Amino acid sequence: MSDLLNEVMQRDDLISPGISACVGCNVELTLRLVMKTLGPQSILAIPPGCMGGVGVVGYGATTGAKVPVFFPLLDNTAPMLSGARLQYEREGRDVNVVAFAGDGATVDAGFGSMSGAAERGDSIIYICYDNEGYMNTGFQRSGSTAKGSWTSTTPVGERLGGKTQHKMDFPMVMAMHDLPYMAAASVAYPQDLVRKVQKAQQVPEGFRYIHVLNPCPNGWGFSAEESIEVARLAVQTAFHPLFEVIDGDFTLDRPVSEPKKVHHYLSRCRKFSHLSEVETEDIQRVVDRRYRRLQALVSGTGSYEAASDG
Amino acid sequence: MNRIKVVNGNEAAALAVKMSSPDVIAAYPITPQSQLVEYLGQYVADDELDASMSEVESEHSAMSILQGASLAGGRTFTATSSQGLALMYEPYFRTPTLRLPVVMAIVNREMISPQTVWGGPQDSLTLRDAGWIQIYVESNQEIFDAIVQAFRIAEDEDILLPVNVCYDGFYLSHLTEPIELPPADDVAEFLPPYEPDHILLDPDDVMSVDPLTPGHLLMEYRRRHMEAQQRALQVIPQVDEEYAGLTGRSWGGLTYSYRMQDAEVALVTLGSMTGAARVAVDNLRDEGRKVGLLKIRVLRPFPATEVLCALQDKRAYAVIDRNVSFGWGSGILHTEVRAALSGKNIPSLNYIGGLGGEDLTVQMLQDAINELVQLDCEAVDAPCRWLHNPQRSGDR
Ligand code: SF4
Repeated sequence: MSDLLNEVMQRDDLISPGISACVGCNVELTLRLVMKTLGPQSILAIPPGCMGGVGVVGYGATTGAKVPVFFPLLDNTAPMLSGARLQYEREGRDVNVVAFAGDGATVDAGFGSMSGAAERGDSIIYICYDNEGYMNTGFQRSGSTAKGSWTSTTPVGERLGGKTQHKMDFPMVMAMHDLPYMAAASVAYPQDLVRKVQKAQQVPEGFRYIHVLNPCPNGWGFSAEESIEVARLAVQTAFHPLFEVIDGDFTLDRPVSEPKKVHHYLSRCRKFSHLSEVETEDIQRVVDRRYRRLQALVSGTGSYEAASDG
Repeated sequence: MNRIKVVNGNEAAALAVKMSSPDVIAAYPITPQSQLVEYLGQYVADDELDASMSEVESEHSAMSILQGASLAGGRTFTATSSQGLALMYEPYFRTPTLRLPVVMAIVNREMISPQTVWGGPQDSLTLRDAGWIQIYVESNQEIFDAIVQAFRIAEDEDILLPVNVCYDGFYLSHLTEPIELPPADDVAEFLPPYEPDHILLDPDDVMSVDPLTPGHLLMEYRRRHMEAQQRALQVIPQVDEEYAGLTGRSWGGLTYSYRMQDAEVALVTLGSMTGAARVAVDNLRDEGRKVGLLKIRVLRPFPATEVLCALQDKRAYAVIDRNVSFGWGSGILHTEVRAALSGKNIPSLNYIGGLGGEDLTVQMLQDAINELVQLDCEAVDAPCRWLHNPQRSGDR
């Protein structure tokens, strides 16, 4: 374990024990790590989604967090935080304003308002937990759901075989916002995750974005104890490469020189169990293409920085 | 010293906002509101207004930013019109139900379709039951005065509700009139700083804001919200009176009566049409007709008692609506006024006119009064009548 992770693990857990996430849920783990890293001088916005549903924002007169926490609407997490941050800045207070939002609230409904906050450079730390759909309402598809996935709104039948479109490459969408800090992270690599959250916090101002892929045992169909392993396979197959973009400079973290074939990852989830070889090949083709593009950006921007330094 | 300045309605609103010293302003431009946002931006650029201004990508985000800023303890302002208000509906309903004292000007504009950009309060009237206090004003001076008052009303600890100050697009937003500005120090004294503790996001005082809420608690929230609306019926006239002590101007609080004392019939108006109605009443008074005018200034909370008192001894009344209530076959104000007079068997007429920026002329209103005077008392359920401009009805 890295020194940082070791140290972070000793800190107070800012999420109450006993929230009702499914057994093996790695989103809950991600949230606990994120908040331990950011510490108590934070406010936390959790829009409708799994982490709201399992009680982190509380129920009735109770709360599920030890920092101020609130439910934004599904589509206004970022601007609500922007407003709070503007007021804190007027009062000279340095408060982390933190979004912990699912892909539905980020990639789908909340995208416009989040993109606006990113364009304005509002000083927010926005973390998207991507479990590829509306999992707390019964596994409906989102723009971030992988192609071929069974979901309750893209069922598998005689004529159709799950979602027909590829997963939106959302980390790249956010990378193109030219943010002071942007990263793709994974709960299977906690030292990397914690380092990225800390780095985002250390950037003094501007919009900071971290995209975490969170395979969901309950909605994707694998057992609780496979939760971290499936998340790791997503990285090892380059389905979800870990990278970082700081002021336009791309870096690959844990570069995978020989990625495993994507079927090693897909075959672990029941939501893909109907896929034919041809369909798997189609996903492989897109994964390869996206990974090559990312590698090109890494080498391209690195040399750009070097050139401008010289 | 009071200053006189000749301004259009949007500048009157901007000047009132400047003197009210909000912390955070977030707005998105839309005709006919845009100038107001531009004025505010200029004040900030010129260092005349120390506010954090956010030029957002939509009205939905404008209201969302104000919610965040208000939850962090700031005084906040925005403005919109028509489609912008419709886009904002989701956070709009949430602002009063979170008890956040945001102030928002609504520069009234018709709703699409048909495609239009001209005036009419259909936008805000349609949202009258979304929990906000709504004040409708008739002149640029009243825009200024009502916005300053709105912050006081909204932030009153017995109220804690957001307030809309609604004024007619173009008829007021782009009409130039002289207004009197009170000294900034007087306004500062009238408006003490906003210091909330009922709902706050503060890491040093941890609170969960709006957790999932079961029905029995939700009902308690609704009950208290409704009680706060009813308390506003007392607070709004008090604030108006105190403001009158400062400036010499009272707008009557909830309603405004003109030549009503001995009137036998009355016109009921809302917004800028009141000016034309006052002239129509004067003209007919000159002809010896006993006619008066009741302006509804505050639509939410609805001043049912004041309306009842003003109209219960009249022989008949007519309500002029610059809007429609689909499904009632009448205008919104007419159904509201009729509800307040539900125990009384007083005949009434409803006129719908001035939609989509059409003119409501003095002559139209005089014709309405004349019709009212001759009204057969049996004709209580007369259907609504349409005020058309005869010169324009040939347009195709
Ligand atoms: S549905 Fe999936 S993401 Fe949601 S709480 Fe359960 S395991 Fe976690």
